[in-house]
Amino acid sequence: MFYQTPLKSVTVIVILAALALYAILGGYFAGEIVVEIAVLAILAISLDFVAGYGGMVSLCHGAIAGIGAYTFAGLTALAGFDGFTATLAALAATAAFGLVVGAVTANISGIFFIMATLAFGQMAYVVVFEWKALGGDDGMSGVSRYDFSAIGLNMNGSVEFALFCLLVVLIVYAVAAYVLRSSFGRTLIGVHSNEDRMRALGLSVWKHKAVAFSFSSLLAGSAGILAAQHTLFVSPELLVWTVSGEVLIVVILGGLGTLAGPIAGAALLVFLKQQVSDYTEHWHLVIGLFLIAAVMAGGRGVYGQVEHVLQRKARSDANA
Amino acid sequence: MLEVRDLSKNFGGLRVSRHIHMALEKGERRVVLGPNGAGKTTLFNLLAGTLQPTSGEILLDGKPITNLNVEQRARRGLSRSYQKNNLFEGLTVGENLALAAATAQGRTFSCFSRAHESRAIRETVEEVAEMVGLSDRLDLGVAHASYGNRRQLEVGLALATKPKLLLMDEPTSGVGPGMIDAFHKLIATLPRELTIVIIEHDLDLGFDVADRITVLNYGEVVFEGTPEETKGSDVVREIYLGDWQGDA
Ligand SMILES: Nc1ncnc2c1ncn2[C@@H]1O[C@H](COP(=O)(O)OP(=O)(O)O)[C@@H](O)[C@H]1O
Ligand SMILES: [Mg+2]
Repeated sequence: MFYQTPLKSVTVIVILAALALYAILGGYFAGEIVVEIAVLAILAISLDFVAGYGGMVSLCHGAIAGIGAYTFAGLTALAGFDGFTATLAALAATAAFGLVVGAVTANISGIFFIMATLAFGQMAYVVVFEWKALGGDDGMSGVSRYDFSAIGLNMNGSVEFALFCLLVVLIVYAVAAYVLRSSFGRTLIGVHSNEDRMRALGLSVWKHKAVAFSFSSLLAGSAGILAAQHTLFVSPELLVWTVSGEVLIVVILGGLGTLAGPIAGAALLVFLKQQVSDYTEHWHLVIGLFLIAAVMAGGRGVYGQVEHVLQRKARSDANA
Repeated sequence: MLEVRDLSKNFGGLRVSRHIHMALEKGERRVVLGPNGAGKTTLFNLLAGTLQPTSGEILLDGKPITNLNVEQRARRGLSRSYQKNNLFEGLTVGENLALAAATAQGRTFSCFSRAHESRAIRETVEEVAEMVGLSDRLDLGVAHASYGNRRQLEVGLALATKPKLLLMDEPTSGVGPGMIDAFHKLIATLPRELTIVIIEHDLDLGFDVADRITVLNYGEVVFEGTPEETKGSDVVREIYLGDWQGDA
């Protein structure tokens, strides 16, 4: 079961506070890095929700974020809608797409599930790539950021935007944690643990999985909305399947099924990438080695390992 | 309450259930006996909807349920425990029971309420834990629980749904005499209107709790009657080679 433990709270708050400080003190470049971490963290949280707590390892979360980004961009840059309306529409679009993917794949498991989600992601990629009105393979520019000038915030400032993105990470984490503790979340964890028994207890398993996937997609959609506003530009690159792969790496690095771990994983991956790419272009190789090490060391991820050790210690203290 | 009409199940050429007829009164305790491989578990799989029959019909409270799937039958009040433990690994004993209770009560979909922490569910959890003897084990992780505790929880999960019809597949398999005794007492304390079918390999226990006994052999009902009639039956003696005569 999921419990919002003090360790999780402290981890989330410390990482987000440290990133906020970095964005404030580190100048333009730091702001860019923080936004990249935030977008990746949101995606990783949304993936951990379905993969870590629902057993649905998706390889289309990048594409789902891309759908959110394109919906937001299209409605603001092409159709002239305001940011608020476009946000609601983008979240609705990703939730709807997620519901379809979830419903179709609910009875598929293991590697075939991963392949099916990959296929859905590729479908979205092809559609966007071919859709001339959305700029086709050239992408679409002219996206603008939220207008918060009424409350004296200039979102075009690098620091302001970075801090806003961190706030969204916090909100997404809190919402996911809240849902995981609710009746819906507990049921999802039950499905992950023993799908057949849940069925025997009277649960309509496919429906539950489909809705869980839809909810996760909605969270992923918010990452896409931020990504579009970050670069003021969207392109099919956003929907390439390797983005989804990177999100999965982040979740595993941080700790699958820990919810807080993915935030740590996102920060780790982006900083690592930054450091290593100063020395070599083969940063993927280094990340790969890191990933192998993480899996070999028990597969709990960086945060997951810490949590595991502390929990074991608490148990042996209680027994002593 | 439960009626089985001419139920058959073939796995390819293997006829595992053959023309089974059964009728249970409400509140009846029926024990199903039979040697290994007789098709007892298969019969439960057919009743619960895990398997579709090759032919035949199943009625619950007079209504056909043959075409309903597993979860639909569960929602009609049918609950089962398994021969092989089928638990929620990774959760505690209490969380297992809460999950079963909340699911059976349909409290699965709300994102704004926490059924598992509600009083109604906690009361069910405590009540069932008391019944199966797990009251002091609620915080124990299932992965760390003893085989006996896991066996108790297996039955507990089935009871936590507050069923109308309870199917138990060898609930005491692999446990010691103390726990068999406790299980005996448990059956006696269950509400009298609850209809129960128990697959048993322990003949003494079977004779003791049963109102009626059904004996399966090679997928066929070879005998049905009261415990007394069963003890005197030639066909049953033949199957068990007088097994219980010695220790009864
Ligand atoms: N899914 C299946 N596919 C093929 N044969 C099966 C299947 N399930 C059970 N059987 C066969 O059906 C027979 C009865 O099995 P089962 O119902 O488990 O017996 P029991 O519970 O009485 O020991 C056995 O011979 C078993 O091998
Ligand atoms: Mg069996």
